[in-house]
Amino acid sequence: MSTREIFDGRLEAALLLLPTIIVSVVFLYYPTALAVRTSFFDSGFGRQDEFVGFENYTTLLTSSDYHSSILLSVLFAAIVVVGVISFSLYVTFLIHEVEYGQTAYLLSVIWPYALPPAVGALVFLFMLHPTLGVVTGPIEALGIDLNWFSNGSQAFVVVALAAIWKQIGYNVIFMIASMNTIPDALTETARLDGVSRFRRLVSVYVPIMTPTLFFLVIINTIYAFFSTFALVDLLTSGGPSGATNILIFDLYQEGFSFFNFGIASTKSVILFLVVGILMYVQFRVTDKYSYYGG
Amino acid sequence: MTTIKLQNLRKEFDDVVAVNGIDLTVEDGEFLVIVGPSGCGKSTTLRLLAGLEQATDGRIGMNGRDVTDTEPKNRNVAMVFQNYALYPHMTGRRNITFGMKSAGSFTDEDIDRRVEEAAETLDITDLLDRKPQAMSGGERQRIALGRAIVRDPDAFLMDEPLSNLDAKLRIQMRAELTRLHAELQTTTIYVTHDQTEAMTLGERVVVMNDGQIMQVDSPQVLYDFPENRFVAEFIGDPAMNMIDVAVEHGTAVHDAFELPLPSDGGEDGSTETSLGARQSKEQQAAVLGIRPEDFYLAREYPDLGDETFTATVDVTEPLGDSLLIHCSVGDAAFKIQAEPRTSLQTGDEITVTYDPERLHLFDPETGEAVYHSANAPASPERVEQAPRG
Repeated sequence: MSTREIFDGRLEAALLLLPTIIVSVVFLYYPTALAVRTSFFDSGFGRQDEFVGFENYTTLLTSSDYHSSILLSVLFAAIVVVGVISFSLYVTFLIHEVEYGQTAYLLSVIWPYALPPAVGALVFLFMLHPTLGVVTGPIEALGIDLNWFSNGSQAFVVVALAAIWKQIGYNVIFMIASMNTIPDALTETARLDGVSRFRRLVSVYVPIMTPTLFFLVIINTIYAFFSTFALVDLLTSGGPSGATNILIFDLYQEGFSFFNFGIASTKSVILFLVVGILMYVQFRVTDKYSYYGG
Repeated sequence: MTTIKLQNLRKEFDDVVAVNGIDLTVEDGEFLVIVGPSGCGKSTTLRLLAGLEQATDGRIGMNGRDVTDTEPKNRNVAMVFQNYALYPHMTGRRNITFGMKSAGSFTDEDIDRRVEEAAETLDITDLLDRKPQAMSGGERQRIALGRAIVRDPDAFLMDEPLSNLDAKLRIQMRAELTRLHAELQTTTIYVTHDQTEAMTLGERVVVMNDGQIMQVDSPQVLYDFPENRFVAEFIGDPAMNMIDVAVEHGTAVHDAFELPLPSDGGEDGSTETSLGARQSKEQQAAVLGIRPEDFYLAREYPDLGDETFTATVDVTEPLGDSLLIHCSVGDAAFKIQAEPRTSLQTGDEITVTYDPERLHLFDPETGEAVYHSANAPASPERVEQAPRG
């Protein structure tokens, strides 16, 4: 490929890049640097910032409450990622297979994703409210006592379900696009060979879709760690007794309920590291198992 | 033993009729080629046979069993696609065995043995551990053939399997397919738009147009005795010349020339009467068909015939092994395939003669052949053909 002169000079290129750079620096890089700096200080409302070195880190890393919050977040993310991917994959497969009304199904699947998270959380709240919820009756008719306002594991399941439900639309959009690129002849060959539908999905479609699926694993992981805040805040506020107190909610409370900016910053740095390490592992695995065309 | 019988088969897509009532019998072990232009319904016919499309009307029989509504996997046919349809993430071996293993009706030892056999037949042993992206087009198509062979199907259905290959490889694979068929003797139905492929591969060739069968015959009969204008123009390259003439007393009359039609010819003996009927009238309009290779320059073949006429050269195209001359006489334009290295220039006058045994007349309205100057072929070649509807 030959290089082509697009800009008259470096100045023009720099000018065009400037808005993006300014926004990134002001709203991303500078706050990040500030958060890292604050994590080494004891900082709060009406207090003089006091440099404490690694004290915040040692406090957190020796706190059993914080340990369980990390474990809880990782478990939550794992459940959400696996749940979203597998459920979306199945829904996508059904939409891909159906002969009539593809668009209608697609729209109804994408709709929850189009809702603001707060609205989604309220919808779930009213659906599953232990006493007022519209689907509470039918569920209790199955012999399950729905009391997730006080039962920790139930609360965890409800928040995870809401998180999965909210993210399916986004996944289906990518998966259907990916599945539609698979040549019909492959499906037809499989049909002629008597390969079952499930086998076709798992052994033919999924391997070809791996680049998309790995992209979605990454996006869903970030989603599970960062974007589920509104769901937790509105459904359980981290309770009951910390059962849904995932890292992102925990650090929000630390900073904006207890006004411990130093500890809150430390928590956000640790969250950043946890997600960063997970991303690194995922990218390594992706490169190894992903099938990229040919 | 596999015979396939299509009866009044019809397929509509919304308001498009892709296959318009065809009847066809494929004999056991036959290599049958379906040829026709794009959109003639040849691929749809094959897909109906495979069960990948549902027939709108009509029946499909295999070995006397009605399979019209049978699931693809229960028809025991194997299909080879134009784009190979290999699973891109699987090795050659896994591509071949995946279907068999999933179907679960073969033991592992059986599969291994069959793969070895097929690999040997197709000379693909060293491709088995490679993935499709590390193979050339020809190698991929071999793997696809291997996948078809190992299942030992009742019939092979091939949908333009060579169209994605380059010209040289296509000729090589063509010969290989013929060899493979001679070895396996499996009933094969092969769809192509390439008439050369059809002629070289097919024991019988079905020419289709607009969802209907135009003619079913052996390649040579198709070439020598086309039943209608479509087949005449489709089979043969360069295509047959078509010149509007009037038939008068056994002579094709054009403004600029007159060609006497040998009277001993006739198609199935019946054409003579039909021509006779035409002769009785004055000035019966017809379309005269002569292949470019049946025209000759009189100076190159002085003793071919007395009937000559003069034409003007418009364009010459050297093809290497021959020279294609586009020329005109009066308002008629036609092509002549002459000896190579003939020096001719635009505007030159040439004296043209022709092989009187190779003249065809077509009805200008229906396009049906009404006369062939050669004698009709011996009957065994002509297999029963269904009426067109």
